[in-house]
Amino acid sequence: MEQEVKRRPWRRWVVLVLMIVGCGLGGGLAFLGIPGFPAVRPEITVAPEKLIEEPLFNLGPLGDFYLVNTLPTLLFTVFIVILPLAWWTRRSLRKSAETDLVPRGIGNLMEAILEVLYNLTEGSAGAKYARMIFPWFATILIYVLVANLLKLVPGFESVGVLHHAAEGHAIAPLAGKWSLLTGAEGEYILAPFFRGISVDLNFTAALALIAVVMIQVIGFRAQGFGYLSKFFSTRRMFKVPFFGAMDFLVGLLELISELSKILSFAFRLFGNMFAGIVLVALVASMLGFVSILPAMIMMFELFVGVIQAFVFGMLTMVFMAQATQGHGEEHAETH
Amino acid sequence: MEGDIVLAAKFIGAGLAMIGAAGAGVGIGLSVQGALTGMARNPDTYGNLLTNMILGIAFSEAIAIYCLVIAFLMLFVL
Repeated sequence: MEQEVKRRPWRRWVVLVLMIVGCGLGGGLAFLGIPGFPAVRPEITVAPEKLIEEPLFNLGPLGDFYLVNTLPTLLFTVFIVILPLAWWTRRSLRKSAETDLVPRGIGNLMEAILEVLYNLTEGSAGAKYARMIFPWFATILIYVLVANLLKLVPGFESVGVLHHAAEGHAIAPLAGKWSLLTGAEGEYILAPFFRGISVDLNFTAALALIAVVMIQVIGFRAQGFGYLSKFFSTRRMFKVPFFGAMDFLVGLLELISELSKILSFAFRLFGNMFAGIVLVALVASMLGFVSILPAMIMMFELFVGVIQAFVFGMLTMVFMAQATQGHGEEHAETH
Repeated sequence: MEGDIVLAAKFIGAGLAMIGAAGAGVGIGLSVQGALTGMARNPDTYGNLLTNMILGIAFSEAIAIYCLVIAFLMLFVL
């Protein structure tokens, strides 16, 4: 077992060299005569940028359909990351099912991840409803996690189409049709090809709608029409009129809180990720010469992305678990 | 001259909007304090408390994020 570890003492210097190279690329060594490519303050828009100014097609009363830059990211996420991952996992699990039932490689990894998530679901929803809740929880979590981590891919939010604008930056020719945005005043702004999908309110709102609608569906499946008594509580209306009326009002408040879940789900994810890209962009353009700083902020934003994916999935799961539990029949189920 | 006043109002508004982050800071601090006290008293509950603490932090943080979104809207959209 005693294996001779090959000593590579120069390895520790690689990091330092990379830091200095990054600093030089960011324009930090300008005092040595190396201009580098200083980061440009990007055009910050809340709505995703249009890659082509003209609409692709018309959707009738819904308005025009534009090719916005979150659409390529969506396709990238689904067709280049998640579906191949699923296919690969499936192949690996099939292979193990044919041989000795021991998952190896990616199948093993996914099984470990899903087992942790399933245990989490079972812990807060109970074994009875865990099978019903788990797919929604795991799907949302993995999808948002992949979407948030995709900004590690180089070129995200930095390579794109140049548009004309009244106030913008000048460009410098690079090679062929490609140009480089410079810090000087000019008339071009950049619309990147890829923009994280969580930075599009449409995506987060759609996900929030799916989550909240499925919370209600699971509530109905678990309790039947008794689920409605959570919102229109008439249980004690006739026995104790005063508290009965109070219950009714509280039930109406539950209805409002159900609606506000959509808002808070959508804006939590969107706000966190949007604040993330704005922070990275502003720090990089203002303090880009200290190239370690934007890298630190980027690391923090990755952490935030993971946490938000976890929170989105976890909250969906907790709300679903709450919906399966009846409001006034706790005493009936304790046994 | 008019444009300048609008710009100044935008910046002031964005700054004022971020006051709300103070509440979120207090909320996050309180939830972490509670969780840490619990962990110190009963280290076995570490994992359970950590999950719930992160959930609580996310809830409080969302308030600050709403403020941030409003501030960004004022700065970059309006």
